[in-house]
Amino acid sequence: MVPRITFHFIWLVLATCVHAGSLSLQNPRFTITSSTAAQLRTDTLSLAEKPEPLKLGPSDTLKFTFQITENGEGKGVQPHQTFLRFHDSVSGEEGIQPVRVTPGGKAKFELNMARPPPSLPPTADRPLEVSLILGSFVHEPTIFDLFDLYVPPSHAPAPHPDEAKFHVLPLIHHTFRPEQKLPPKFVSVVFAALVLSPWLVLLGLWSKIGVRVPHLFSPRIIPFTALLGAFEALLCWYWIDLKLGEVLLYGGILAVPTIFAGKTALAATGEWRTGKN
Amino acid sequence: MAPAKSSKTPVASETSVALTTMWKSYIQHTSDRLKLIDAFLVFIMFSGIVQFAYCVLVTNFPFNAFLAGFASCVGQFVLTASLRAQVNPENRSEFNDVSPERAFADFTLGSIVLHFFVYNFLG
Repeated sequence: MVPRITFHFIWLVLATCVHAGSLSLQNPRFTITSSTAAQLRTDTLSLAEKPEPLKLGPSDTLKFTFQITENGEGKGVQPHQTFLRFHDSVSGEEGIQPVRVTPGGKAKFELNMARPPPSLPPTADRPLEVSLILGSFVHEPTIFDLFDLYVPPSHAPAPHPDEAKFHVLPLIHHTFRPEQKLPPKFVSVVFAALVLSPWLVLLGLWSKIGVRVPHLFSPRIIPFTALLGAFEALLCWYWIDLKLGEVLLYGGILAVPTIFAGKTALAATGEWRTGKN
Repeated sequence: MAPAKSSKTPVASETSVALTTMWKSYIQHTSDRLKLIDAFLVFIMFSGIVQFAYCVLVTNFPFNAFLAGFASCVGQFVLTASLRAQVNPENRSEFNDVSPERAFADFTLGSIVLHFFVYNFLG
């Protein structure tokens, strides 16, 4: 066990020593070529000072090569993460493009404007600030501001299929039917009189027939008649004021004596009809 | 045209004779109780006709009130006609099990239920 712990300790000490190192760029170089493979501009980058902004046409290609070394020495290293960052400082838009680095530290990035990568942010007529981000478990993380890059303005983004749904809808105007009007008062009065006139016919006919109700006030008949009248009064009250539950309750209560009174009254009528009494 | 005219007059007179005979027979042979019911049926019929005429000629507003009024006339007419059929002594053979008192009890119960629905519709 002791030798194994010692072995791990040595690795830890070594890692701490290596951690102190930093990464640097060697031979950073860019080349801009046109679609006909003609070199438009080529230069070596100075990390101390940004060069003149690079300009890419709609079909130009930018090639950017560099090597990553440790502490500026010749030996190349491969960081764990290498990114190129394109940043529009005005709009705040940015794009991150991973760069493949060989184990020897050499890297080559190519930006073809005929087929721009999706990571390129939306561009206007402003330059993008291009920087290189290096991340490593054993070195200090580093950022290099490389250059400013003019690329052709991007097209307006295609509208989302659901875009139309996210707008304020036009105000809904409800159209109501006009209020129905009552007929003129005269017409109402005439028809009210006409509707009531059958009562005169009824009373006239009954008086002509000669209605006789000799038992109406008989003690066996009058409760039934009164309770039927109470039922009609209850229904009239329902029309004016009562709720459905109340009228059903009161009707149920009223039904009990009405049934008994009706039984008595109709039994008495039956007796009178058959001449038993 | 002349023969048609001469044949039309006897038909009209025959109709009026038939109607007169029927009316006389009704007056003579129908009991007062049935006449009482018939008068009530006439009353209901006139009420319904006037309400319907108002609805057609003037306005159906408020429509629920018209429905309630007209339905009460129709419903009450049906109930009364049914009462008349059951209490008519000439129909005794058809309604052997139904006494006039039982028919009247049915009539009152039916009327109360009908009036409940009518008031419900009246609004």
